[in-house]
Amino acid sequence: MRIVWLVVALAGAVAVIAIVAPFFVPASTRPAGPAGLAGEPAPVFPLHDASGAPVSIARYGGKVVVLNLWGTWCPPCRAEMPELQKLADAYGARGVVVLGVNQGESAQRARAFARSLQIRFPIWLDDRQQYGRAFTALGLPTTVVVGRNGVIVRGFDGALTFEQMQAAIAGAVSAR
Amino acid sequence: MTIFAAVAAAVVAAVAVEIAVPGRDAYHAGWFNVGLIALVVVVAVLARSQLTRSSSQRARAGVVAIALGAAIAGLAGAASGLLAPENRTIVGAPGQRVRVDDLGGSLVFPPADAEVAGSSSSGDVVLERTNRRSLAIGERGRNTGSFVLRAIPREVAYVDARDARGGGLTVTQPSGSSFLSPVLLMQQRQTIAGLNVPFDSFAVPAAHRLVKAVLFSAQEADMMRAIQGGSGPAVLFAVDDENDRPLRNAIAAVRTGANVGVGGLLLRAVVFSYPAVDVVAVPSLAAAVAGALLVFGGLIAKGADRNAAGS
Repeated sequence: MRIVWLVVALAGAVAVIAIVAPFFVPASTRPAGPAGLAGEPAPVFPLHDASGAPVSIARYGGKVVVLNLWGTWCPPCRAEMPELQKLADAYGARGVVVLGVNQGESAQRARAFARSLQIRFPIWLDDRQQYGRAFTALGLPTTVVVGRNGVIVRGFDGALTFEQMQAAIAGAVSAR
Repeated sequence: MTIFAAVAAAVVAAVAVEIAVPGRDAYHAGWFNVGLIALVVVVAVLARSQLTRSSSQRARAGVVAIALGAAIAGLAGAASGLLAPENRTIVGAPGQRVRVDDLGGSLVFPPADAEVAGSSSSGDVVLERTNRRSLAIGERGRNTGSFVLRAIPREVAYVDARDARGGGLTVTQPSGSSFLSPVLLMQQRQTIAGLNVPFDSFAVPAAHRLVKAVLFSAQEADMMRAIQGGSGPAVLFAVDDENDRPLRNAIAAVRTGANVGVGGLLLRAVVFSYPAVDVVAVPSLAAAVAGALLVFGGLIAKGADRNAAGS
């Protein structure tokens, strides 16, 4: 009889824990904004490049993709662009692709901006600002590193230096 | 049916009502939960006397099952009423992923833009949880265990900003839930000319402009003299410079989908229906079912014992 009461008490205790536990979930420690994207698959949106040709990051499978969201009106974006070009030049041969994804502006405006800074890496147009929303951008520029397997490795809010970019892609470049 | 069984059944019934008709304020009220706990205490007291009176093992097992079932169901009800967060509505921007800790996952809002805005449906919000099946949330509601999630359609506006030559401009929402979203979620309200209407604001940094957008329903727009022609809801734009100073001739109202030149910008808003998610705490479904089964099983055991004693 004592065992029966023990089983009943145990069942009661389990029930109490199971019922009450959902209301004591610890708050997420995941950071807000692009830094919290690590480990999630990179969204693929069909976009156009500055000449109007259709483009997508799906075509860069197996490569490390550095997606940089920018706008012509954003001074830190202007300051960061030459650093991104330096990264594209230094790591292009090692499977790193730098893509500049303009948020919401016209092709003409984006082209003129890239030309003035002698940017040679691809400039894409995200006229509906889909990446800005999907990457929970807190501002511009926003940079997201996508690994060779299509999963986001790191996300950054604000302008990065060449050295910071090197550190950000190091793990993804060496991963096979 | 004895008083003991009736009180136990009442506890299960009260919790079943909480699950079947979720979201009532009464479920979080003190009197409701104290009442529920009081009923469980009554069941426990009656169970004690029933146990001393029961001669067979089957009858005693039935009494224990009924009492345990009522306790589990009652605890589930009281825990939901006293510990669960208040009912709330989660509003997200299209494409946004909103982490909701007590749901153990993220709500992923469907993408929506100018093209979707023109169609009748913008898709479902999906609850994504680690190692568990994703749930699409519709207007009929989904029970996730301790919460019922229900999609609530709301009117939002997709805005398109262009310069005088028609070139696209970035739209930002420095105070919105998604900085780089051209979809205004219209979460604030104000009274204009006796009408309590939703509004939102956005910035066009390339043009150094801040824009307030006020949404009027089709009926409200029909009553306004400033909006002529067309049909459907309308948006009133008020454009300031980047220091919040009003500009000359910088207020205009247009119907959904129409362009208007205002404050040096060419603006267009497409009003469409987009889901938000109501999160309503309910007693744990598993606990309520387990409690109900125990009470039911206990009643059967007691009934069978009575029949055996009678024959």
